[in-house]
Order: sequence, then structure tokens, then C-alpha cells
Amino acid sequence: MGRRLHHWLPLLVPTLVFVVLLGSWEWAVAQGWLRRLLFPPPTKLFASAVELARDGVPLGKTLLDHLLITIARIFGGFAAAVALAIPLGLVIGASPFLDRMMAPIVGFCRSVATLSLLPLALVWFGIGEASKIFLIGYGCFWVMLSNVIAAMRLVDPVLLRAARTMDTKPLRTFTHVVLPAALPRIAAGARIALGVGFMVIVGAEMIGTTMGLGALIMEARTFYRTDVTMVGMVTIGLLGLAISLSLSQLERRLMPWMPAHSGAGP
Amino acid sequence: MRDVPSQGQAFVADARPGVPAIDIQGVGKTFATDPVGTAPVLGSIDLSIRDNEFVVLLGRSGCGKTTLLNIVAGLEAPTSGQVLVAGRPVTGPGGGKGMVFQQNALFPWLTARANVMFAAENRGLGRGEATLLASDLLRLVGLEGVDAKYPAELSGGMQQRVAIARALALDPAILLMDEPFGALDEITRNEMQDELLRVWQARQKTVLFVTHSIWEALMLADRVVVLASRPGRIVLEQEISALRPRSRSSLPLVALHEAIWEALRER
Repeated sequence: MGRRLHHWLPLLVPTLVFVVLLGSWEWAVAQGWLRRLLFPPPTKLFASAVELARDGVPLGKTLLDHLLITIARIFGGFAAAVALAIPLGLVIGASPFLDRMMAPIVGFCRSVATLSLLPLALVWFGIGEASKIFLIGYGCFWVMLSNVIAAMRLVDPVLLRAARTMDTKPLRTFTHVVLPAALPRIAAGARIALGVGFMVIVGAEMIGTTMGLGALIMEARTFYRTDVTMVGMVTIGLLGLAISLSLSQLERRLMPWMPAHSGAGP
Repeated sequence: MRDVPSQGQAFVADARPGVPAIDIQGVGKTFATDPVGTAPVLGSIDLSIRDNEFVVLLGRSGCGKTTLLNIVAGLEAPTSGQVLVAGRPVTGPGGGKGMVFQQNALFPWLTARANVMFAAENRGLGRGEATLLASDLLRLVGLEGVDAKYPAELSGGMQQRVAIARALALDPAILLMDEPFGALDEITRNEMQDELLRVWQARQKTVLFVTHSIWEALMLADRVVVLASRPGRIVLEQEISALRPRSRSSLPLVALHEAIWEALRER
């Protein structure tokens, strides 16, 4: 009994909190304490979600269409950033000299709020896909790069000494010791970078496009469709949760020696 | 107790009569970060270790015993003097010098067996041979049924057993051990000392073992070398002829404990 409760509690409590929250919201709107237009109740949101998924708002584009476009943009920018940041970070992180040289540049570029580059991105890449992927890529890249560099710098020196006392060849030391030792932090970096991608996407989609969850949220504003905005928010949240859970699965496969990740947080 | 038939014959061909297994000649060490005027970590150490001898370096923290071990291992360079292993100067780590560290230095992403195989494969063994050797060595250090476990799933004592098996997989002529049981509880520690003696008697290695535990030194050593700090120097060398397994209550050992304690306390 105690064991089963222990097993179900982590699922039960959030569900209960969620249900109570939604219930009181619905009730508050029905009582007239919350204005229907500003705080559309959960039942209305559900109806809107069905409407969005079936008929689409606006222009006959369904929720799935918006979702897929957003996913494509996030992964485009994220994949490009990761593909660039990992080799670069490995090289920079392997050399204390390069690391010291790059630290101010990485620190500076990382601190520039990605969305402040939006006007520049529009000028450079136009209002098409390129500017959105650039913005997401930019945000992900610097976070990823600094994490890969840190992962390399923080490889436990005892492991490297152990490798040296075992006559390990330099290439084998890199592929069989340094890389696996750095992998957990690199994976954590990818997780954080993906989070940044999610923060950037909505902003990036607010200008110059009618497609994508960010655009959907923005468009809804012009039609006073608070419900659509909220459905868009929830969809982004669910997408983030789904990706986070799949990342946990991937990490468990890649790093079976590491304790499992809860799926929450970076 | 030393007449147990040896299985590790590889190094015997290597050993030349009259040439010490390890010859430390006037080794001194000064750190670049030392303030001007401080005594060096190691003054000028001379120490000669015979084949298959079990020598324990004993001293308080900061006496330079680990530095000396690292110099023998080739992980650090001496400021003066040199170390010869089987007559040849040490220029770097590896090359028949197995090492066991105080902290868990196992690769956390490899299972116990894969950790041992890593060392075996480094000296050119194929996967099949390496697997067999790893299983043999894990059994030798008293581990059964943990081959597929990751280091994080093992207790501290088990981890150090795997580390010993990994060092043995290199088939080294000498085994360097830097407070390998320092992080273990006393009960496990005593067990591990017995296990180490068993393995040493089965495999016949020259062992240089660093500790700050007088009793550990007395239980293990053929010869205890007591170091004092700044400048790091040898203040006592004590042969221990008592047969193994030794008892902590044997009177000669208790007397030796007293003598070593005096030597340590004076500095």
C-alpha cells in the first residue's frame, strides 16, 4: 500500500492541483468574478482547441499546421546551433589558451538578448524562414557553446591521469575518455539551449509571418481571441514537455550510467 | 608466505639480477608556486626497492609522499635527481607502472568489466581475450557477479577492487598505490588490506604504497619508509619480517608501531 502510494503520488498530486485550479477558474467565471472575454473558462478553451484543430483560425490553417511549422523552425535553428557549437566547443574547451581568448566573446554574445536582434535579422535575412531560424540558432548557439566549453574544462583530471597511467593513446583518450566524460554536461547544455529556442520562437514568429504558434498567438490579439492565445500557450507548453520527456529518454539511452532525469527543468 | 607460485611471470624476464625494481636517486621537488625561502616538498630522496618488495611510504599530510609516488609514476617531473624503473629512467606514465588512486578514478560510463577491459585493450589484447582477462581479474580481487554494474552502483570498497583489477590488467611489473583505501571505513579497509596481500602474493608485483595509517603500513609492508615534511625526507626505514597474515595484537608489531609513532611525532 505504502509502496503503491509512493509510486502514484508524483502523478496524483500535480493532476489534483491541476483539476482544482481549472475547476475554480470555471466556477469563478460562472460566478461573474472573472470576465469571460479576458479569462475564457477551461470549457471554452477546450471548445476553441477543438475548433482550432478542426477548422483552423485564421485562414483555415489548423493548430497542427502551426505546430508543425514551429517545430520545424525550432529544430532547424537548434540543430544548426548544436552542429556548430559541439565541434567548436570541443576545440576551444580542449585548449586553456583558446578558452581564455574566447571567454569574453562568448560571454558578450550570450548576453545579447536574442530578440533584440530581431530588427537586424529582418534586415539581413528578410521576413522569411531564414530570419526566424537565425534568431533561434543564435540563441541556442551561444548557450550550447558555453556549455560544451565548460563540459570540456570540467572533465575530472583524475580520469585523465588514470588514462595516462594506462598508456592510453591520445586519440583514444579523446574519444573514449574526454568525450564520454563531457557528455552529461553537453547533454545538459542541449537541454538549456532547447529551452532558449522555445523562448525565442514565439517572439521570432510575432513579426512577418502568419504561420506558427507565435504568429497564432499574435494574430489572436487582433481579433480579441484571448481563448486562442491561451490555447496557443498551452500547445507550446505541451510541446516543450513532450520534447523534454523525449530528451530524458534519449539521455537514458546515451548515458545509462547516469541517474535518470525527471524531465523537468534544464 | 612469499613462496606462493607466481602466475605473473611476464615481468620476471624483464627483471635483471642486481638491478632494483625501482631506484629513486636523489629526487628533489620544488613547486614553482612555493614562496621563496620555503623548504622544498622533497629534499633529496634516495630509495631502492627490490623486485616483488612491498614498500609503504608513511607520513602525515603534506610530507610529499604522494608527490614522490607521482614522480615514480611519471605523472610529475622531479626538480632534481631521477627515478629508474628496472634500470631505465622514468620519462612519463605508463610503461609497466600500474596505478591505483585514492579517489575513485574508474570511468563512470563503463561497467566494472569494461573498465578492466579498457586497460587490457590498451596493451593490444583483442576483445575476446580482454573479456576473459577482465572476468578473471575481477574474480581475483574478490568480485563476483558485478561485471555488468556501473561504478556508481558499487560500494567504495568494490570500486577500489575494480581499480586494482584494472591496474593489474596492464600486467605491470610495479603497482603504485596512492592511499587506495583512504576513503573507506575501517572495517572495509582492513578487509581490503587482506585482499590486497592475497592478490599481491598470487601475482607477485613490486608495490609502492602510500598511506598515513601506521597500522596499514604495519599490516602490509615488507619495509616501511617514514617521511617527514619540508623538506620531505626519510626519517626512518623499518624492515618488517613478521609473517603474514599479521595480527594487530602481536607484540613486535605493537613495539614497531611505537617506534614509528615516535619518528613521526618528533618532526
